[in-house]
Parts: sequence; C-alpha cells; structure tokens
Amino acid sequence: MKVLDESGKGVAAGSKLDLASLGLPVAGRRGTLVVFWKRQ
Amino acid sequence: MYVGPFETTESCDEWKREYDLAFPVVPDADGALFRRLTSGWVPWSILVAPDGEVVFSENEFDEAGFGAAISQLLAKQTGVAPTATESTQRTPAARRASKAATVVILGGGVGGIVAAHNLRASLGEEHRIFVIDRSPDHLFQSSLLWLMVGDRREHQIRRPLERLTRRGIEFVHDEVVEIDLERRLVRTRARTLDFDYLIVALGARTVPESIEGFGEMAHDLYSLEGSRGIKNALDAFTGGKVGVLVTSMPFKCPAAPYEAAFLVESFLRAKGVRDRSEIHVYTPEHQPMPVAPAALGASIVEMLSARGIQYHPLFTFQKMRPETREIVAADGHAEKVDLLIAVPPHQAPEVVRSSGLLGVSGWIPVDPGTLRTEHEGVFAIGDVSTVRLPSGKSLPKAGVFAHNQAVVVARQIADEIRGRRDGARFDGGGYCWIELGDGRAGFAGGNFYHDPEPRLRVARPGRAWHWGKVAFEKWWLRRWF
Repeated sequence: MKVLDESGKGVAAGSKLDLASLGLPVAGRRGTLVVFWKRQ
Repeated sequence: MYVGPFETTESCDEWKREYDLAFPVVPDADGALFRRLTSGWVPWSILVAPDGEVVFSENEFDEAGFGAAISQLLAKQTGVAPTATESTQRTPAARRASKAATVVILGGGVGGIVAAHNLRASLGEEHRIFVIDRSPDHLFQSSLLWLMVGDRREHQIRRPLERLTRRGIEFVHDEVVEIDLERRLVRTRARTLDFDYLIVALGARTVPESIEGFGEMAHDLYSLEGSRGIKNALDAFTGGKVGVLVTSMPFKCPAAPYEAAFLVESFLRAKGVRDRSEIHVYTPEHQPMPVAPAALGASIVEMLSARGIQYHPLFTFQKMRPETREIVAADGHAEKVDLLIAVPPHQAPEVVRSSGLLGVSGWIPVDPGTLRTEHEGVFAIGDVSTVRLPSGKSLPKAGVFAHNQAVVVARQIADEIRGRRDGARFDGGGYCWIELGDGRAGFAGGNFYHDPEPRLRVARPGRAWHWGKVAFEKWWLRRWF
C-alpha cells in the first residue's frame, strides 16, 4: 500500500543504520527487524 | 518492531493492545523515519544486524529472499556458511522473486491493458511493467460495429496507449520482432528487453490479404478501415444484396457477424431501403456461436428469420470473384452480392509463429486454469491462446475471456513475486452482448468450462441490454485510460 508519494527509494541493503540514534529500540541480540506498517 | 507512520504514542499503544502484539510498536508521528527509510510503501521491512548493517530492506518481500537474508545474518554471527544458496537450491521462480522483477506484456489490447493495470496495482515501484504494441492507440474493437452504422466516431473508441505511463506502466510503441524464450528476452525494432515474466497478449491477426480479391470486393468487419468502408458503402447503398461472410474458423467475437447483420438490417430499414434489399449471412458454422448450447444458436437463427435475414450455415467459402461480385463455396455454389462485409481469416501474429510457442492448432496452448505455457514464467491470454473445452471445442476468442484471464495471470505473477501462493485460476466465466439493432440487445453468460458443455444463461433481449453494453464501453474506456 502506497502511503506517501514524495518518499525516496528506501534505505539500501548494505548501508549502516544506528537505530538508537533514530530513537528506535534495539531489542534483538542477533539483529532487529523494523517493519513500517499501517494499522488495518 | 512495528513503526507506525503518522501514529501517536497513544494510538500505537491501542494498536498493540488490540492485536495483542508482543513486540514494540513505535510511533513515527511526523513520518520523518518513514520518508527517510522507505519508498513510501507499507509494509516495509528492514533487517538490521547488531553492528548496524542493513541486511534486508524491501516492500512486500518474498519469503525465500527474506529467509536467505536471515540465514546470511546468522551465518555472519556464527561463522557457519548458510546451507541454502540462491543459485543452487532456490527455484527459478524464487530467484526471480528475490529482486525487482520485469514483466513484459506483448499487446495493448484488452488482455494486455487489464494485466498491466492489475500488476501495477499489486506490485511496488521497484518492479517494472512494460506494454509493447505496434499501434499508438488502444482500439475498443467491439464498438467497430457501432462505427459501421454511424453510431460512433473513431475518436470515441480509441485511446492513446501512452496514457498508461500515468499509471506507472512503461509503454513501448514498437513492433515485437523476436521472442527469445531461451535467453528470456524480447526484441522490438528499436530495443531489447529482458523479462522475468512474459505475457503474450498479441491477439489474432486478421489476414484479408490471404484471399485474392478481398480488397476489391469486401469490407473487413474487424478493422477500423473496414468499418469506415462499410459506413460509406451503407450511406451510398440504395438497394440490392448485402452479404455477411465468415471466410474461415476460428474468428474472434463469435456473435459479431450476426450483430453486423442485425445492425445493417436496422440501418437499411431506418434509411427506407430495406424493402429493396436482401441480407444474407454465409458461414461455415452449423449454427451461430457453435460453442454455446444449441438453444442459443437456434434463438439467433429465429431472430435472423424474424427480420428477414437469410441464413446460410455450412457455407464453406473458397474464393471471391470481384469481376462478377461473387463469393464461391467449396462445392462450386456461387452467390452474387452487391455489398460484401467479410470476416477475414485469422492467424497468430508472425512473431508468435516463429517463437516456438505455437501448438498444432496454430495458437498457443495454455493450461486452462493458469494460462501458463510450457515455458516457465511465460503466459498467453486472449485470442492468441487456445484452450480445449470439455466438449472438445476450443474456448471462443473474445475480449471477455482475455479480460478475465488477464486478472488471473496478473494475480499469479504478483503472488509469485511476493512469495505468496493463492492459486488463482481462470474458471471459464464469460459473457456476451448481442446487438440486435433498433437499440435492443440480447445477453448470454455463464461458465464455458462446464462439463460436458458450457452452461449459459440467456437473457431475454431488450433495450436494457443494449444500454448495458453502452455503459460497459464507457466504463472500459474510462477505467483503464
């Protein structure tokens, strides 16, 4: 489902993200799955 | 975790409670993260390794691709190589699904247009959808019958295919010259396109030039030029014998020659020359619309008779004699006609004939439910394909089937790309309006896959069905363009 038209291409695999600095919780020891989703 | 664009802390808490979610649900109140990390589509999934490396970032991913990313992530942490690799253990379908896919659709007719729109609506922008057609315009062919009697003008029934680009579909105005199934590419005169999925929706080509004298003697019922010619001829007609001739089988839109006869009859009556005219239908069929149950054919014969239209079944056309204005049957019987409206022979387009896709029938054989050819990821829909019915006859060539098949094929491809399987299958459903002139029409529809013969419901003819057909035409041209 398209929510916004003016967005870019999305973060690319291989790049780096500091979840904590984005204000997101870092819960998993083996990695973190972030899912952008709209409530249905 | 879920991140909710344009959600508040309160709405996220409520969301978590309502669905009993065991993981964090985080608001992104102003959508800043959503804009920065996604392409604007949900769901968007990002898998981040403990060292901050993004190992996966996609909208509506396929399971195989996501599984491979998790294997890679775990292998990196344990030092053990993943056991599955894309190249050795995944199916070709899963390999195709692991990246942005390219779907190439040959033909901008009914099937091609519907497939392209349905795919576009189901797939993210990273997947490319091409429609290739040698014509710059889509022509709503069933309205040629109305053009022929002056009820439509050309601009009312054609739309520029370039408009597809507004919907995120890439239109290539060019002629397809080669389909290379081995290397999975399509060549046009100007470019080469690789495909992950190919939908052949090129329709049936009419070949009036295969009949000597056709251009001198007959008007082609299935072309824009032919319809213009019929209109001019009818305007100039002052009486005589009109022939509607089916030169060979199969032909598309099985009702069309009968509709043409009904409309011409109505036109000549309104013009005041009906009493000086004869109208004849010559066809190799044993009854009108022979795939349908006999009762439907009988009702059409009855309506022809009621309007004084003479019906000549089992007329096996052999040749035209323009010098004497005669059509000649295989048994040598000749009929002289003053105005000849003809259904030309049909065949698969040349590029399909040289592709290796054709079966012995001269059309592309496909699975009746999935419309898949024997080549993986290659589908054929509409008039260019052939489906054998339980009765042993072939599914008629008609736009309604191309439309319904396109929906099914688009769903299968979209599901495969997204790693889902819902088993969409074409069930043989179809329907048909039959124009009867005087603003009236009949209607029949049902299941053509029903065993042992199609099960159709035939509605009583009336004005409502004519207006239903008009409404459908308007809807179609507005919906897709």
